[in-house]
Amino acid sequence: MPLTPTASATTGPFFPPRYIDAGCNDLTTFEGRRARGAPIEILGRVVQENGAPLENLIVEIWQADSGGVFRHPADPRADEADPDFLGWGRTTTDRDGGYRFRSVLPGARGTRAPHVNLQLMFSGLMRALPTVMFFEGEAGNERDPVLAAVPAARRALLVAERESPERYRFDIRLRGENETPFFDL
Amino acid sequence: MSANPVDLQQARYGAGALDETMQPPRVVPGYRETGWRNPAQPLVRPPLTLSELTGPLGPERRLSLLGGDIAGYGAQRAIGQLMHLRVRVLDEDGSPVGGALVEIWHANAAGRYIHPNDDEHAPVDRNFYGAARLLTDQSGAFELRTIKPGAYPVPNSGGWWRPPHIHFSLFGKIWLSRLVTQMYFPDDPLNGQDRILNAPPSAEARVRLIARMAPPTEGPADALVFEHCIVLRGHRATPAQP
Repeated sequence: MPLTPTASATTGPFFPPRYIDAGCNDLTTFEGRRARGAPIEILGRVVQENGAPLENLIVEIWQADSGGVFRHPADPRADEADPDFLGWGRTTTDRDGGYRFRSVLPGARGTRAPHVNLQLMFSGLMRALPTVMFFEGEAGNERDPVLAAVPAARRALLVAERESPERYRFDIRLRGENETPFFDL
Repeated sequence: MSANPVDLQQARYGAGALDETMQPPRVVPGYRETGWRNPAQPLVRPPLTLSELTGPLGPERRLSLLGGDIAGYGAQRAIGQLMHLRVRVLDEDGSPVGGALVEIWHANAAGRYIHPNDDEHAPVDRNFYGAARLLTDQSGAFELRTIKPGAYPVPNSGGWWRPPHIHFSLFGKIWLSRLVTQMYFPDDPLNGQDRILNAPPSAEARVRLIARMAPPTEGPADALVFEHCIVLRGHRATPAQP
């Protein structure tokens, strides 16, 4: 008989600081070796209703490597994955709600445009909030099936602003005006 | 080459939609922060693609493992009721999830966390930090040796006390399996009023958050033994459809 997944709960306010390991927000190197691809920086602020910044919120990301491949057995092309790219990172927001990752630009794959998956965990979030970040200027955004599932008027909220050739800004608003679209996975 | 969403939903490690009665609502009555931070707009149900049906392989290669004995440092024992926790992690087929990274944290015996955000008056125990990070074995099991956490009041909440509980963060086989949950202790008088434990509509879902105490004859002589089971989203690896 199939089992039902255990009920989710909030992390609460006391997720141990030592779980935000140094270097965990830098995906450009893994065990001392450099990942393939174009280095990028992803940064932004996380705010709640009325724009108040949230400190100590956990942001985790998961993304394909620079060739669009996931180093995971479910990916039929896993053999081609960059062995020096974990694809996962974690950080926590600072007093201004700011977060920052270093990574490499993920490759496109089939109909999927380059994108980064995020999950937010925090006090008051009984269930982790997943969202997806896309990159400004990518031609494939228009036919990405996940972006297309978002109401047209809100799609631009998932496209990170290109501040420089290597730096993308993705601000996240959990609730209220210009609320970031979140997913029910 | 192309990542066809329909094929992938039937592929290995797939996951169905969650049963909402078994999960908490996002906005919980009496838990005011939930009303400030959860989306007001409808959530988007996307097609599932490789992104959701894969996940980090070996995050412990980036994160340091901390071991499963947090009942003190060497000869310096933490204050509190010594306890031994046995947990099994399964997927939706009941198959063990081996090699899963589990992060655990909880308050000390007085209900105080080692965290800059915890400014309650309960005392710190310098022999207790309260954080373990480990991997499940091939049967999906892990064991934790610790002290039983204390209850604590939620500030500015009108008399809400959190019952003793242990937090878990787990990585399964895929991104969809990622779970943060809490475990409670049987027969605690605060369990019935806790706004987080009682959030899921289904009584079965709530009961499953409460550990079982094993008969004291079955465990180490110096510790109470509790047993618990956690089910992650996702299915076992099955041969891909031709």
